[in-house]
Amino acid sequence: MLNKLNIYIAISFLLLILLSIGALYIGVYNFEDKSPLTVLSNVIFNPAEVSLSEKYVIWDIRLARIVMAILIGSILAVSGTVMQGMFKNPLATPDLIGISAGATLMAAITIVLGAHFKHFLPDFLQFSLLSIAAFIGALGTMLLVYKMSTSNNKTNVVIMLLSGVAISALGFAVVGLLIYLSSEEQLRDLTFWNLGSLGGATWTKNAVLFTVLVFSYVILLPKGKALNAMMLGEKDAEHIGIPVERIKKQIIVLTALMVGTCVAFSGTIGFVGLIVPYILRLLFKSNYQLILPLAAVMGSILLLIADTISRSIVAPSEVPIGVLTAFMGAPVFIAILIRFKNSM
Amino acid sequence: MIKAHQVSYSHKKYHILKGIDVSIEYGELLAIVGPNGAGKSTLLNVLANELKTKDTERIFFKEKTFSEWNIDDLAKNKAKFSQHNPADIPLLVKDVVIMGRYPFFEASPRREDLEAAENAMRKTDVFHMKNRAYNSLSGGEKQRVHLSRVLAQLENSITHKLLFLDEPLNNLDVKHQHKILKTIKDFTQKANTTIVVIHDLNLAAQFANKVVLMDKGKIVSQGEPSVVFTEDIITKTYGFPCKICDNPITKKPMIIFG
Repeated sequence: MLNKLNIYIAISFLLLILLSIGALYIGVYNFEDKSPLTVLSNVIFNPAEVSLSEKYVIWDIRLARIVMAILIGSILAVSGTVMQGMFKNPLATPDLIGISAGATLMAAITIVLGAHFKHFLPDFLQFSLLSIAAFIGALGTMLLVYKMSTSNNKTNVVIMLLSGVAISALGFAVVGLLIYLSSEEQLRDLTFWNLGSLGGATWTKNAVLFTVLVFSYVILLPKGKALNAMMLGEKDAEHIGIPVERIKKQIIVLTALMVGTCVAFSGTIGFVGLIVPYILRLLFKSNYQLILPLAAVMGSILLLIADTISRSIVAPSEVPIGVLTAFMGAPVFIAILIRFKNSM
Repeated sequence: MIKAHQVSYSHKKYHILKGIDVSIEYGELLAIVGPNGAGKSTLLNVLANELKTKDTERIFFKEKTFSEWNIDDLAKNKAKFSQHNPADIPLLVKDVVIMGRYPFFEASPRREDLEAAENAMRKTDVFHMKNRAYNSLSGGEKQRVHLSRVLAQLENSITHKLLFLDEPLNNLDVKHQHKILKTIKDFTQKANTTIVVIHDLNLAAQFANKVVLMDKGKIVSQGEPSVVFTEDIITKTYGFPCKICDNPITKKPMIIFG
């Protein structure tokens, strides 16, 4: 079975690399007679031959953005998959239990109110205020939801899902209120935040995302067996040696970290954590030993395609990427509802 | 094998178990019987370390309390079949059965894990449907899948293993009831122990070495089937008249209600 997995992983990686090269070629800037790939190899091996503007476009804009799409797509898909394993429900995603809403809430508050006290803060804090706020929002929400729904070391899944609904409602209300208080420029920022964009990609952000990804995946990706066992029910999973409570805590903390970081850098890009596991489940049933590692690659593929479309379809302007993922995600959402309407 | 001394359990204000003393030896098949609400499943869950009470420290599994065990070793020494199995597990039958081998392999099942799973599936007659979707099975078939998962878990080289079964025969037809009990009997005869909650007194009389009869959270009587199954005790505990005679085939006590 794992041989099969290795083959699927290899094929998806190959596909991802081909798509990345393809995405490198798509954009408004004209490299004249050189292909973007030669320019890129010159940037790496032969920096003297590349003009500053070419280096800037290929390295700091296109490649940075492609890498960011790959990292964020992967992280969102994996966090969705592990949440669904924990809740034993294909509709459970970080959006659903309110982590994204919590992060967005803090980000929105920072955008609108931050303008007033921004000048009193040191430079490095000003620069990263938004990211820190989104991360604190995600973690705070996660802890609140966890505290509300946990007693005697046991988690009540229904309460946890409903607290997510409550926090999303609060986030929606606060953002709605802030729209009246915000200036026109802030309004654009808020829209960006609500619909998501990878336009702000930089290598510093990518380095942070990569660190978060490696740290989380080392702990989460080997949990396929545990998530399978949890389908038996948490008590029976314990009888086959799965430390259920500890794994649930790891999932909760790491999902907050992963989603918080993504929201900080790209706004709320919804549905990735819903679409990717859904497609994988159609192919491989719910075997988390297969779908968890595959989600890590498929998430990248999905978001890279979506982002390339979002920045090329109305070039030189761009469609918010959240609009595209919602177009893909909503039918999946409905399909799941129809499929499970009898059991939910 | 496992000893419990003065174990009680209450949920909210209700006392479900009151001062239970039980002790089961290697090689015994213990049947817990009693009317609805007697506390049979609760006792089984407490003994299996699934329900924790303040008295859990008074339960000794192989001379150690559960807090002295680590979770991996426990999973190799004991297994439990639960009364309520999930209806929805979107996996194949063989994927569910191999879960019983999770304590034994890291990422990918080894050959002995696959063999253990195959043996277990043959014992419960589910081998021919190993590639079917679990969700497409009937209630009784699903139950047999979980039984083979539990049997696969205890197919290992450890001596003296403990198997907990909560009403394992509920949805099974006569042939499978007897086949499963025969398998369990073979398992206990290899110096292992089984504790089973069961409703059918005649099957309990036929297969168990020892019976615990419970009512209202207390043990009414325990001992060999012939000691516990007397007309007096059974009629009083179940509140229903009965006659007891010898089973013409097995020569064990046969309880006839009415």
